[in-house]
Amino acid sequence: MARQDPKKDVVVIGLGWTGSIMSMELAQEGLEVLALERGDDRNTVPDFQYPNIIDELKYGIRYELMQKPRKSTLTIRHGLDDTALPYRHLGSFLPGDGVGGAGAHWNGQNWRPQEPEYRLRSYVEETFGADIIPEGMTIQDWGVTYEELEPYFDQFEKVAGISGKAGNLNGEIIEGGNPFEAPRSSEYPMPPLPHTYDADLFSKAAKAKGLHPFPRPSANASEAYTNPYGMQLGPCNFCGFCERFGCLNYSKSSPQVCILDALKRKPNFSYKTNSEVLKIEKADDGKTVTGVTYFDEKANEEVFQPADLVLLCAYSLHNVHLLLLSGIGQPYDPATGEGVVGKNYAYQMTGGTRLYFKDKQFNPFIGTGSNGISIDDYSISQIDFAKEGFIGGSYITAGQTNGRPIQSMPLPPGTPKWGKAWKEAAGEWYGRSMAIGSHGSNMSYRDCYLDLDPTYTDRHGRPLMRMTFNWKQNDIRMTQFMKARIEEIAQSMNPDMIASGYKKEGSQYDVRPYQSTHNVGGAIMGAERKTSVLNKYLQHWDCHNLFVMGASAYPQNIQYNPTGALGGLAYWSAAAIRKDYLANPRPLV
Amino acid sequence: MVDLPGRPSRRSFLKATVASAAVTSIPIGMPHAKAAELPSLDAYKPVYFDAAEWSFILAACARLIPSDGEGPGAIETRVPVFIDLQLAGDFGKAADWYMEGPHTPDANPLLGFQSPLTPAEIYRKAIPVFQDWCKTTHGDAFEKLDPETQDAALTSLEKGEVKLAPELRDFFSFLLQNTKEGYFADPMYGGNHGMQAWVHVGFPGARGSYTEWVHNYNAEYPLGPVSISGERA
Amino acid sequence: MKTLFRIVAVLVVIGLAALAAIIFVPVQRTEPTEKLAADWKAPEGLGKYDARMADCAACHTEPGGKPFAGGRTIESPMGDIYTPNITPDKETGIGTWSLADFRAALVDGVDDEGHHLYPAMPYENYRHMSETDIRAMYDYFMHDVEPVKNEVAQTKLPFPFNQRWGIRLWNWVTLGKPGFKPASEKIAGDEQLSRGAYLVQVLGHCGSCHSPRNAVMAQDGSNETDAKFLTGGAIGGWSAPDLRGPKSAPQQWSADELKMYLTAGRNAHSAVAGEMKLAVEESLQYMSEKDADAMVAYLRAIGTDGPAPAEAPAKRDQNPAGTVARIDAADDATTVKLKKAVDLTEGERLYIDNCGACHFADGRGAPEVFPSLPGNAAVVAKETGGLIHTILYGAEMPSTSKRPMKLRMPGFAPRLSDDDVAKLATFLRGAWGNEAGPVTAAEVAKERKTPTEASH
Repeated sequence: MARQDPKKDVVVIGLGWTGSIMSMELAQEGLEVLALERGDDRNTVPDFQYPNIIDELKYGIRYELMQKPRKSTLTIRHGLDDTALPYRHLGSFLPGDGVGGAGAHWNGQNWRPQEPEYRLRSYVEETFGADIIPEGMTIQDWGVTYEELEPYFDQFEKVAGISGKAGNLNGEIIEGGNPFEAPRSSEYPMPPLPHTYDADLFSKAAKAKGLHPFPRPSANASEAYTNPYGMQLGPCNFCGFCERFGCLNYSKSSPQVCILDALKRKPNFSYKTNSEVLKIEKADDGKTVTGVTYFDEKANEEVFQPADLVLLCAYSLHNVHLLLLSGIGQPYDPATGEGVVGKNYAYQMTGGTRLYFKDKQFNPFIGTGSNGISIDDYSISQIDFAKEGFIGGSYITAGQTNGRPIQSMPLPPGTPKWGKAWKEAAGEWYGRSMAIGSHGSNMSYRDCYLDLDPTYTDRHGRPLMRMTFNWKQNDIRMTQFMKARIEEIAQSMNPDMIASGYKKEGSQYDVRPYQSTHNVGGAIMGAERKTSVLNKYLQHWDCHNLFVMGASAYPQNIQYNPTGALGGLAYWSAAAIRKDYLANPRPLV
Repeated sequence: MVDLPGRPSRRSFLKATVASAAVTSIPIGMPHAKAAELPSLDAYKPVYFDAAEWSFILAACARLIPSDGEGPGAIETRVPVFIDLQLAGDFGKAADWYMEGPHTPDANPLLGFQSPLTPAEIYRKAIPVFQDWCKTTHGDAFEKLDPETQDAALTSLEKGEVKLAPELRDFFSFLLQNTKEGYFADPMYGGNHGMQAWVHVGFPGARGSYTEWVHNYNAEYPLGPVSISGERA
Repeated sequence: MKTLFRIVAVLVVIGLAALAAIIFVPVQRTEPTEKLAADWKAPEGLGKYDARMADCAACHTEPGGKPFAGGRTIESPMGDIYTPNITPDKETGIGTWSLADFRAALVDGVDDEGHHLYPAMPYENYRHMSETDIRAMYDYFMHDVEPVKNEVAQTKLPFPFNQRWGIRLWNWVTLGKPGFKPASEKIAGDEQLSRGAYLVQVLGHCGSCHSPRNAVMAQDGSNETDAKFLTGGAIGGWSAPDLRGPKSAPQQWSADELKMYLTAGRNAHSAVAGEMKLAVEESLQYMSEKDADAMVAYLRAIGTDGPAPAEAPAKRDQNPAGTVARIDAADDATTVKLKKAVDLTEGERLYIDNCGACHFADGRGAPEVFPSLPGNAAVVAKETGGLIHTILYGAEMPSTSKRPMKLRMPGFAPRLSDDDVAKLATFLRGAWGNEAGPVTAAEVAKERKTPTEASH
């Protein structure tokens, strides 16, 4: 028999970026808000404090701040006829847990998607014709436009404190910024982060080729900053311990640095850690939810927490898992294409080329998560899909993020993996290479999806979620296109050697090496109830007092890192709740 | 310094209440700028490994990162100690990993680790199998072979030519990965003694402060490393 | 010889009689300095505001305890003093106190039964409180504060400090005239400056830390006409900085920056620490904008070399291209050497290894986030305890409504030896134009034994 706690106005599941944003915005309305966080509480000091956080083994290799598969994981298979097996230790992607979520240990690359990305299917059909969309590709429009979201991107960037250089201010192209970005209503809150030697060489080479290099938009502060909540960032010191680590320097935008101390001052806000939500409870009529049942680890008991409004703000994979476990929305069936929950899971297509220079010293330990110079000349809005034979795009970047020697010891092709030659090559080459990377889109497909696993269960006895995913020809073509572009630039820089790593024809998804924690889709937003889980306000189509935040709403993956987009979506949804929903709770569409 | 008689010193109040807690929770030692003198590897008493395993680990590490040539080897940097401590701890126990059955250890390797055994168990079960293989193939236990033969044996292990049960197939990759971890991790984990591996490649360790170097392009960085405990080189 | 004996005898008799009078004749309570109408009612919220401005909670609320329920231990060289319960509980608090009793505690330093309070209670300053503030606070404590039953341990100081009549002598020597009147015409003639003077001298009792102590350990100076008033004091090994000299913060900072420091606990130059952190956290952050402006105006008006310039010296510059550009451009000797990073002294190396991440090679940190070290009062203070303590045990900025973030510097006690800290602190006190004397390992060893709040 579960304990029942007194009712709250709002229950927030997960206290990462979107949970913190929604808690703050609704606490400002005077509502009683309770956030339930599955992991531990975390604060800059002591959890990320210098020098303890500068520990590659503990955080970078053993994943101290990440979700522990023992507590929560999923199973993975390549195709519909395969048996999925558990993702037993972390590799390909690293979901976070604890207060701050992945927002505490990301790199801080903060982008806005391009206009066509929000209406990708319509854009492709209108521009190139529906027949270029391959069989089995299930891309959709988002149901919301860039123009609608723009003020909320602006709001998120001011809260997060982003460093960068505008390239398109209200339609006017600005020298030095990204000329291919969607129009912005204001300049970035801070000047761009300075960049390292590798990025400088790349920038010059790109410019010489007539391309348009610009500073990567960065959630690593370039100077001291105070955000609209009075929260503060300190200047980034390029410590080289960014992704996988909490920021020791108050420099990387995170819920801790940008929201939480201000939120914690509000008497109508409270949060509980080590409280994993097991189920969102549906009302008898199925049109609303009544609250959540969670496991209170400290009390070692299940608790029913009633609430008027439930905000699902966990990591994208957990959002989908919880919807499936709660029986909210019709699960997707790849055989018929019917149903929505779990549909359109997508990942990120990345690749890179490393350049070795005998006579250059890069000091790779001088780095930060969103250091660098990018080009968007091969972005989604710039590519002729019909001509190139794929749908998608990529931004291309150089900018070293770290020189942590266990993880980052790239040695020239042909170097043995151990022995005297390996050791001596490490001494010789550690500082003498740089990389140019492609960060590209990944389309959604009929047989790439999420459902419940028939065999494996978690520590609460619930079925694990099952991921069915593999690389598809369209996206491999895209990354091979980028490989050719990057190698052209790389060769123009006259390195002594290069080595490329891109998915190629026949590449299968490998869960072992780290690739990206940009797992999207599964609880997608859209214009129609039949083909999406959420309406354009991230409100659940079936239960109007349930809103689902995060990248699980993306109908296919954008070519950019997902955080900027989900921050903007959270503020957009919060505004709809504040301005419209609270006064008259109902389906907003 | 004298406080005014009776003047409320909230600070001194706090001193009193936290002093006892702080004394027990903060190691108020005298951090040393130089690496501590430690007993030699021969005198080290392994926490996890038995004597036979330890002989193998010492010999294998000595080939994976040998002492000859430029830069320190695994032995001088005490990598075997690191591996021993890791296997005795959470890593060895797979404390964070999902270890529920059913297990399919011979699954497609792209689907990742699927063994029912923990890393510590894999070392324990795989070492004797490899030693038997060395005896059959090369005529003696691994540590008794000459260096060239040892390298050949490790290469066979790496290439999968040594028949290991599927649940042991990750043995070599663990051994190599753990060796490199011990070489480059902070010295507080037992390896990278004296931060020699950091000095060798030019990694400044736990400094985390390079603002003034961002624009110093293509220049040699002059400072040696510092460790988490404050050891300097 | 006989004559001398007689004289001594007479003096002894007179002395004994005086002593008897001091001990046994009841203290005369000071009359109200202003007559208020019988039906006078305090404006809504005034009592609570005054109690905050007077920072009553700082001493009368135990950490983690119920507001004003007392029991906080004040360590003094004479022994521990336990602060009384001042909630309106009738048995263990002040629920039975009359307005006159309450007034007497604030103004005369005596309790409802006429016993002398230890001067830990700053009645030396509260003595000048207006009758309206006394009445408002009395109403607040009687009606709005929740009564809490909390029997506080009796303070038991050893002889002779347990002889409270001694305090009566001290009071005779030190207490001024009750009520408040600006001491100089310049202040009296300006409503804002008068209010500021009242906040600084009386409610905020700033002088109790920031003024030196005189021969009888009383606050040296109570207003701007006294030369030593607010020229710096010391508390527990920390310097409470001078607030009036030409190099003092009120003279060097702009009015806005001084206001930020007082109300937000941080500004472009520095951040509060130690006792001042508690003062901002529990009291000053609640100041109204008008009062904050008044306090700032008064502090800026009373410089020993004249008032602060209307346009304060240039605000600490931020390079428009960001912090890296600022450091690239810095060309002072210390910064140039740290940037080059060759042939470093141990102190310089320790700075780069431990401090540079936040305070940077130019030592200037970042406005409102990482305090600037050149010229920093705590770095160059005469008393080195504050600097050493901060290095060993860290510091945390208080959460305030303007700046909610509890920015916290970690402590380095586990990483640095006494010798390391001494070398590092000595470097800091001589770097970037700082000119303060060296720190010894023995001073560090002494401070290491007394962790503060930052180490829990």
